[in-house]
Amino acid sequence: MLVKSVMVTKAVTAHQDESVGVVLDRMRESGLRMIPVINDDRNVVGVISTYTVLEKVVPSYIVSGDLHQISYAPDMGILRRHYDQIAGIKASEIMDSKPLTVQQEESLLSVAAAMITFTKHEYAVVIDAQHHLLGIVSAGDILDRLKRKAQGGDDA
Amino acid sequence: MMHNTGEQIVASAIFGLDPTWLAVSILLVVYAFIMMERFNRAVLSLLGAGLMILCGVVTQQQAVAGVDFNTIGLLTGMMVIVAISQKTGMFQYVAIKAAKSVKGSPWGILVMLSVVTAVFSAFLDNVTTVLLIAPVTLLITDALGVRPYPYLFAQILASNVGGTATLIGDPPNIMIGSAANLSFYDFLVNLMPITPVIFAVMLLAIWFMFGRDLHATDEHKALVMRFDENEAIKNVPLLKKSLTVLFLVISGFTVAHSLHLEPASIAMFGAALLLLLQTLGQSLHEKDHAYEGIMAEVEWTTIFFFVGLFIVVTGVEHTGVIEMLAHKTLELTGGDFNATAAAILWVSAIASALIDNIPFVATMIPLIQSMAPTFGGPEALVPFWWALALGACLGGNGSLIGASANLIVAGFAQRAGHPIAFLVFMKHAFGLMLISIVISHIYLYLRYLG
Repeated sequence: MLVKSVMVTKAVTAHQDESVGVVLDRMRESGLRMIPVINDDRNVVGVISTYTVLEKVVPSYIVSGDLHQISYAPDMGILRRHYDQIAGIKASEIMDSKPLTVQQEESLLSVAAAMITFTKHEYAVVIDAQHHLLGIVSAGDILDRLKRKAQGGDDA
Repeated sequence: MMHNTGEQIVASAIFGLDPTWLAVSILLVVYAFIMMERFNRAVLSLLGAGLMILCGVVTQQQAVAGVDFNTIGLLTGMMVIVAISQKTGMFQYVAIKAAKSVKGSPWGILVMLSVVTAVFSAFLDNVTTVLLIAPVTLLITDALGVRPYPYLFAQILASNVGGTATLIGDPPNIMIGSAANLSFYDFLVNLMPITPVIFAVMLLAIWFMFGRDLHATDEHKALVMRFDENEAIKNVPLLKKSLTVLFLVISGFTVAHSLHLEPASIAMFGAALLLLLQTLGQSLHEKDHAYEGIMAEVEWTTIFFFVGLFIVVTGVEHTGVIEMLAHKTLELTGGDFNATAAAILWVSAIASALIDNIPFVATMIPLIQSMAPTFGGPEALVPFWWALALGACLGGNGSLIGASANLIVAGFAQRAGHPIAFLVFMKHAFGLMLISIVISHIYLYLRYLG
C-alpha cells in the first residue's frame, strides 16, 4: 500500500503570512488539529498545529525550568494575555518549519515508521520533488485503510 | 610519543618538542576557546586533555592520577541527590512559603526570595538553585505586576554569595577544599561568618537602587497570597526520603574530617542510598527506568569538563611552569604574605568576573601550592585558600558571564520577555562585586593577616 492510496488531496492549508488567529479559526471550522503552511508558490514551508500554538501560549520560562507542575499557582490570566499576542502574529513565525514530509510513492509502513521514530506527529505532509503540496496522511487515515483491507476491501 | 622503557611508560614530547611550550600552548589555546564561548567547554577540555597525552606531555597514567576524584565524586553525588529531591517540589514549597510570609510586599518578597536562593546555593549547586527558583520568581513577579529585573538581579548576587559560604556551595570551593585538605567544617567556620555581612550590604544597595521604587496594588498582593504552597509538594513519601538523605549527607560532611572520610565518599553514598530508597517497592523494570531518568539529569558535560580540565592542568604542572609562575608572583609581591594574599583575592575576583572561574581556580591551586616552601609549609597557606575562594566565588557577580548561574537567570529573563543586557547588568553589579571584595579584604586582614 502506498501513500497516494490513502492521502487526502484536498488539504486545508494556511498561507505563511496569515495570522495565527485566522489559521486557528480555519482549523476549528474544518475539525483539523494540524494543517500545512504554504507560500505563494504552494510550496510547503511548515506545519501549524493546535499543539504548536499552545506551546507558544504557555510562557517558556514556566516549561523550560525545573518546575514540572505549577498547580500551586492561581489563575493569573497569563494564558489569556499570551494568546492575544500570539493570535496576531504571522503563521510563519510560530510554525514548525521541519515537518515530516513524505513522497506519494512511499509505502505506508515507511510513513508509519517515520511518524513514530522521527516526529511523534500523527500527520505527514505529502510533497513532490519541487516541494509542492500534494496532500496529507494522518495516522487515522492509515488505520482506516488497514481496517478496510482487513474487512476484504480493495487493495490499491 | 611513549617509549616503553622496561616496565614503566615514560612520557616524552613528540618530534622532540619542548614539553613546556607544548603544554602551555595547549592550555592557552583551550582557555582561549573556552572564553570565546563558541564551542562546548567539555569538548574543549577533553580535546586539550587528549592532546596532552597524545603529544607526550604526560602519560595516561599520570593524566588519570591528576583527575581529582573528590571534586568529580562530590559533584556527581550531589547532582543525583538534587535530581531526585527536586521532584518532590520541596524547593518551590519553600520559595512560595517565603514569598507569602511577607504578605505579598514587593520588597519583602525580593528579600525573602534572595535569602532562599542564598541558603539553597550554600548547599546545592548554584545552577540547580536558580533553575528551581528563577521560574517561581517570574511567576510571582507576574502575579505582583512588577518588573522581574530587580528580583533576578538580587537572585544572581545571592546565588554567588550563598555559594561562597560552604565547601559544597560552588565548584571552586569543592576544588580548593579537596586540594588543600580543608573540611566542610573549615569552610563553615572561616567563610560562613562573612557571607551574611556581604549579603546584607548587597541587599542594602539593592534597596537604594530598586527596592524603594517597588510597588504593588492590594489586588496583586492578594493574588500572591492565593499561591498554595501545599500544592507544590508532589510526593510525600519521596519528600521524607529526600530530606532524610539530605540531612544525613550534610551531617556527614560536617563530621567527615574527624572520621577521615572525604566528602565525595559521603555524597556518592548518599546518592546511592537515595536511588535505592526512591524506587523501593517498584518492579525491576520501573526501577531501571527511574535510574536511567535520574542518570540522564546528571550534568555529565560539567563532569567531563572537570575531568578534561584536571588533565590539562596536570600536563602544565608536570612541566614546572606553574612553579615558575608562582616564583614570579612572589617576586612581584616581594614574598610578603599579606601582599600575596591580597593579590590572590583581587586577581581572582577580577579574573572570575570575566572568565570561567573553574579553569582559573584549577590553575591557581597548583600555583598557590608551590608557594608553600616560601611561607613555611602547606599549613601556612590556609589564608591564601580563603582569599582564592572569596575572590573566585564573589568575582562571579562582576558580570553576566562571571558564573554559569548568571547566564541561566539571564536566559529565563529573556524567555519571560525581560532580557537582561550585558552592560546594564555590569553597571549595576560590578561595583557591588568590588564592595564585596573590599569587605572580604578587611575580613581577611582582621582575621588572618594583620
